[in-house]
This record gives sequence, structure tokens and C-alpha cells, in this order.
Amino acid sequence: MPRPLSPQGLIRAALAAGLLWAAAAPADPALERGRYLAAAGGCVSCHTEDREGAAPYAGGRALTTPFGIFYSPNITPDRKTGIGGWTAQQFVAALHEGRNPAGRAYFPAFPYPAYAGMTAGDARAIYAYLMSLAPVDRPNRPHALPWYLDTRLAARGWQWLFFRPAPFTPDASRDAVWNRGAYLVRHLGHCGECHTPRNALGALRTGQEMAGNPAGPEDRKVPNITPDERDGIGDWSLSDIGMFLEIGMLPNGDFAGAGMGQVIDDNTSQLTAEDRHAIAVYLKALPPQAKPR
Amino acid sequence: MRRITSSVAISLLAMASVAQAATPEDTIKYRKAVMETMAGHIAGISMIFGGKIEAQEYLLSHAEALAAAGDEVGKLFPAGSGTGKTEALPLIWQEGDGFRKAAETAKTSTAALRDAIKGGDKAAIGKALKSVGDSCKGCHDRYRHKD
Repeated sequence: MPRPLSPQGLIRAALAAGLLWAAAAPADPALERGRYLAAAGGCVSCHTEDREGAAPYAGGRALTTPFGIFYSPNITPDRKTGIGGWTAQQFVAALHEGRNPAGRAYFPAFPYPAYAGMTAGDARAIYAYLMSLAPVDRPNRPHALPWYLDTRLAARGWQWLFFRPAPFTPDASRDAVWNRGAYLVRHLGHCGECHTPRNALGALRTGQEMAGNPAGPEDRKVPNITPDERDGIGDWSLSDIGMFLEIGMLPNGDFAGAGMGQVIDDNTSQLTAEDRHAIAVYLKALPPQAKPR
Repeated sequence: MRRITSSVAISLLAMASVAQAATPEDTIKYRKAVMETMAGHIAGISMIFGGKIEAQEYLLSHAEALAAAGDEVGKLFPAGSGTGKTEALPLIWQEGDGFRKAAETAKTSTAALRDAIKGGDKAAIGKALKSVGDSCKGCHDRYRHKD
């Protein structure tokens, strides 16, 4: 039996409609490209608080890591609390160099080591899309870190040790589909941030790309997605991977949860079937690896 | 012979009468069995629907079994079945209403998939299959801890 909405219900519905409108596909093709790339970059998952009705891209999500709790910042174009005062160049520098407009280093909880390989054109398209959103006034919450990390100098030191930014260069010995998959997996999609194990200082062990992470974010074990027969996804076909990335179903009929469900909702289900296929092709071509023990 | 048969019947009857008070271990085992059944039927449906397997005549029976299990999901998490060999998170019992709503979508979405398959419209089946997936995925994301 449908009930008439209470005044509060109406307000909530109107707000929800407003938020949906703010996140809906823009008509301008340049903005549409930015929207698509932002989805492929998974920006909204981390930059939105984890509660019902949270404003997309307004930040506040807690990311629990072995190093402390990071709270994502507001990336709506609000001038006071968001990135409304940033130039496109400053935005690209954040993604490519891991620096905020004041020149201070970001902690690698923000996956700029992956985004550094993004083309400048793609980064600018994402900037244009974010700038087209409705500004949301939501002040950033400081990270909860132990004292020895609670300074941007720690992030600077980390960069000095581990951050070697380089643009994505296509591998001429591979076809266009593999290269597109490599770009999506390594850079935009930053899959390795969760699926590649890290060393004691939190840098990715790139020699074990996608071999799984026994100590992933939110204290979760992240599975091995190399084509290893025993530990990885060696028995998944390309269409199994495509299906998983589209609707979240594993080949045995189980459904992903534990973080990946959200990645599928916000990111991979939004991609074209061609891009999902490219991701599958890239993953199946990785060297099979045993999971780190 | 007849005596043996009737004594078997009596002992089954005795078992049936004590089955009301399930131990938490059995509740968890049963829950997993039903969940795995659901996974099997969904895998079957998507392979047949996706054209990988020629078994159209079994599509509906998979969907009916799935809807029957979907109807049961909300009843599989009684209080006290959150500890032991289970991936169910305490949030299920802490939240109450949130989980009840999520379990309700397992019921409604699997029923809708069965009805779509009865209807035979391909686009409608695809859409219904997607919402079954969204229901499973949404619940697993929030209420299941997977190692």
C-alpha cells in the first residue's frame, strides 16, 4: 500500500533527486568524457562519505590503513571547502605530482602514484567534469595518524623514497586492447592500490603486480587477480571477468562484496563493454603469481 | 521388514520433532548451504541466459528454486547465529532494520527474476538478473566479511 510522503520524506526525496541530478550524465560531450573518466578513476568511491544520502564527491570517507585513518577531502567546486579555487594546472599537478596547490605532498592513500600515468588530457577532462558539479560546503576532516606521520614531511619523505612519476607509454609489442587495459588497470582504475602487496613502508611491490594483498584497506585480505591457476583467476575466461566487472558475479554464482562491490557499482559497471574486455585481456596476460604469504 | 521400516519412520519422526531448536552451528551450516544453492542457480541462469549452455528448458526451474531460497534469506539469520564459522558480520544484528530491508530485496528481486523468465522478454530478464546481482552484492558488501 503506497503511503503519501511525509514533509520530511518529500524533502529527502527532493534532495536525493538534486544529488542524482548533480551526478547525472551531462549533455556536453567534453563533460561526458570527464564523467566517464571520473567513473573509470573511481573518484567518487573514496571522495564520498560512507553513509546513506552523503553528497557525492564532498569527501569525508574514512580509509582505514595500517598507517592510520585517512579522511578523503571534498573535491566538489566549493571555493571554501572544496577545490573551487583550483586551476586545471593545479589539479593536474595533484594527480601527476602528488602535490596540493600550496606545494605540499599528499600521502599515498590518494593514489597519485597510479594517476601519475594518466594523460594530461584525461586529467583535464576530469577537472572540467568536477568543476561542473554543484559545490557542496563540507569542511575536510583531518586524518587520524600517529605523531610520526602526522606531518606532510612524512609524505614528502615517502615520495623521495618511492615516488617515480612517469606518463603511461604504450607497449609497442602489444596490441591496442592490451594497452588500453594496461592504462585502465595500472593508472585510471588503480587496481594495484588494493590488489598488489605493499612493503613495510606502504610502497607497492611492483614485481608482484596484482598478486593480492594480505593486509589491504579496512583490514581486508584482497585476492590475487593474476592468472595463477591455484591462487589467482587462471580458470576465469575473458567473459567471466567481463561479467564480474559488470554485475559482480563470480563464475561460481557468488557475488562480490567487501569493498569490490562498491568498485563495481561506482567504477567498472559504468565502463563500456570494450573497456571491461580490455581490463580482462590485460589481467589474463599478467605473469601468474603465487599469493604473498 | 515392515517393523524395520516403521521403526525408521518413528526415529525420523522423533528427529523432526526436535528439529525446532537448531544449534547455532546447524543454523550456520544451513545458511551456507542455502546461500551456495542460490549461487549455483544464479551461475546456471546466467550461463544459460548468456548462451554459454544450451539448457533453456531448465531456466525457469533454476529461477523458481532461486526465488524459493530468496524468500528464505531473511529467516536465515536468527539472533545468536553470528558467532562461529561464519562470515556474517555483527552489523546484521546491530542494525536490525537495515538488514531486514536488504534481505527483503533478496526476496523481491529473485521473485521478479522468476516472473521475468516466465514472461520471456530478454531485456526484462537481463534487467532482473542485474537487480538480483545488486541485491546480493549490496548485502555482501555491507554484511559479509570475506577472507
